[in-house]
Amino acid sequence: MKINDSLPLEYRTEENSNKIFGFWLFLGAEIALFSTLFAVYFTLWNRTGSGPTGKELFELNGVIWETFLLLTSSFTCGLGIHAMRLGLKKPMMIFFVITLLMGLGFLGIEITEFVNYVHEGATLQTSAFLSSLFVLLGTHGLHVTMGILWGAGILIQVGRQGFTDETANKSFIFSLYWHFLDVVWIFIFSFVYMKGLM
Amino acid sequence: MARLFPIRHVIGYIFSLILSVVGLGVVFWDLNPTAGLWILIVCALIQASLQLVLFMHIGETDNKKSLYFNIAYALFVGLVTIFGTLFTMLWGW
Repeated sequence: MKINDSLPLEYRTEENSNKIFGFWLFLGAEIALFSTLFAVYFTLWNRTGSGPTGKELFELNGVIWETFLLLTSSFTCGLGIHAMRLGLKKPMMIFFVITLLMGLGFLGIEITEFVNYVHEGATLQTSAFLSSLFVLLGTHGLHVTMGILWGAGILIQVGRQGFTDETANKSFIFSLYWHFLDVVWIFIFSFVYMKGLM
Repeated sequence: MARLFPIRHVIGYIFSLILSVVGLGVVFWDLNPTAGLWILIVCALIQASLQLVLFMHIGETDNKKSLYFNIAYALFVGLVTIFGTLFTMLWGW
């Protein structure tokens, strides 16, 4: 096995640096996926039929908290990887736990928001606007859910095995995924919520 | 403690908070929709680049060119999808 000691632990074997590269390719495909969902939303956002419009439906408070939690979790996730590169296991794990808890907080707010919408009579079937909204937000929320489960699994492995080529590689790839979810949220925040409330 | 909070990450975080507040401002300042939309576009793009460069370290390895190309190509596909849809479905071409 070719090992390059000048690189951070997660890149050192050729297989691992290929895995990181492969994950970037996957993120490229994710950009295409979310673009199609945004395209659908932009096409249908004012087809509200007899249902509520975005302006009537969106609640600013929840959105502000969701944005703050996800931005901060992206920051702590980055700090976790930085700690990992310093070889500090405990700080890395603490940062990752904070990241995942904030992810859970985000999900909690999003689920509450969905429940409120449905109670106000705004369901997936109400209008084309709401169908496209729920699919876009739901796809992002599903990604966050998967990320929390994935991150928790990696945390258990880091806890048991410490930093090895493999656990470092997995943690770094997880961090790419988590930052990417924050990027998607920035676009949802700007072009769904802020544009909708403007 | 200080070495756990590298300056690049802290700056990236503070900037993304500021950019989010500017984005929020669009709702509070009562701007005309075109100006508001442009502010949102610019803020979102800067914020996405901050994440890519400062948090995801896109430029840290030897194959960074491939990564830039990959993201640029994905953005091209995404923008063609979005604006192609808008052209045909909304703008009546």
